Amino acid sequence: MAFTLYSLLQAALLCVNAIAVLHEERFLKNIGWGTDQGIGGFEEEPGIKSQLMNLIRSVRTVMRVPLIIVNSIAIILLLLFG
Amino acid sequence: MHPAGLAAAGTPRQRKWPSKRRVPVSQPGMADPHQLFDDTSSAQSRGYGAQRAPGGLGYPTASASPQSAFLGDPVSNMAMAYGSSLAAQGKELVDKNIDRFIPVTKLKYYFAVDTMYVGKKLGLLFFPYLHQDWEVQYQQDTPVAPRFDVNAPDLYIPAMAFITYVLVAGLALGTQDRFSPDLLGLQASSALAWLTLEVLAILLSLYLVTVNTDLTTIDLVAFLGYKYVGMIGGVLMGLLFGKVVYYLVLGWCCVSIFVFMIRTLRLKILAEAAAEGIPVRGARNQLRMYLTMAVAAAQPLLMYWLTFHLVR
Repeated sequence: MAFTLYSLLQAALLCVNAIAVLHEERFLKNIGWGTDQGIGGFEEEPGIKSQLMNLIRSVRTVMRVPLIIVNSIAIILLLLFG
Repeated sequence: MHPAGLAAAGTPRQRKWPSKRRVPVSQPGMADPHQLFDDTSSAQSRGYGAQRAPGGLGYPTASASPQSAFLGDPVSNMAMAYGSSLAAQGKELVDKNIDRFIPVTKLKYYFAVDTMYVGKKLGLLFFPYLHQDWEVQYQQDTPVAPRFDVNAPDLYIPAMAFITYVLVAGLALGTQDRFSPDLLGLQASSALAWLTLEVLAILLSLYLVTVNTDLTTIDLVAFLGYKYVGMIGGVLMGLLFGKVVYYLVLGWCCVSIFVFMIRTLRLKILAEAAAEGIPVRGARNQLRMYLTMAVAAAQPLLMYWLTFHLVR
């Protein structure tokens, strides 16, 4: 049962990468999760779908540059240490 | 503007030096960077002076005391003075910045416990069925310290239980001749990773369900750490009396933790519905109920998962 903190970090990095590669135009708009399709709901509490869309959009915006850095570090470390 | 040229860590230090020097005129504006442009020359030079030559500024004041020391050697005097000034500055820097990463003052609340509280809380964790009032008492908008209210979450029991769990896991592995010292670290790291994963999953689901709750992250860590008590109980009984007793005690602790979590989280997550006392129908409340049940149901599962390999 070698579920260590390091594997949690790796899993987190892979998940964030997965969210970051969702293409806005080709994919999200086609399943109705585009950023311009969900902002209409201001009257009541948001609901799970618009929360998810907000989350995806904010993760993509915030983590774009740090992901480049962290991915480069991960690549270099994996190349060096296997 | 000069603050742009300095590092962020330099700015608080820069604020501290002028307030020490300018004794007569106490300007509250000294803490406000926007008003510093009136005084750029003196504050800037002082600020740069404070940053560029920290040892130089600290050295004249600190060298006064070691001069009367038994070390007459001026080089070691200087080294000692420089070292002590560096240490003082390092401590100052750490003290200023530690509050950004670890909320130390908030953590102190969670460790304000005493023996009676610990005893009552442990009793509550093993037998929550007779306890009637689960509300945390408030005192002028802040929750009362755990010492005075048995319902308040604390971090002492979870921390101690976690460490005891790691030690008991080592003991259990030793009785099976599977022990080696790095396995202790592996157990600790694994349990910590599961805890982190749980906290992140619950925070994510709380965000998705848009629950307006006052359940802070540290509260959540405290509640999720209470299951280690049951785990320790189960493993110890299993080591002493065998596998059947392990399953019995673990089953009892699982049910207790389930009831405990539901009753505690109901007040935090389902705040409006619980205040009225009746189950209010509605999509939001139903979703919150499911969330509470899911969190509570994950506890026994994790308790079993983290201990079954220890008792064979």
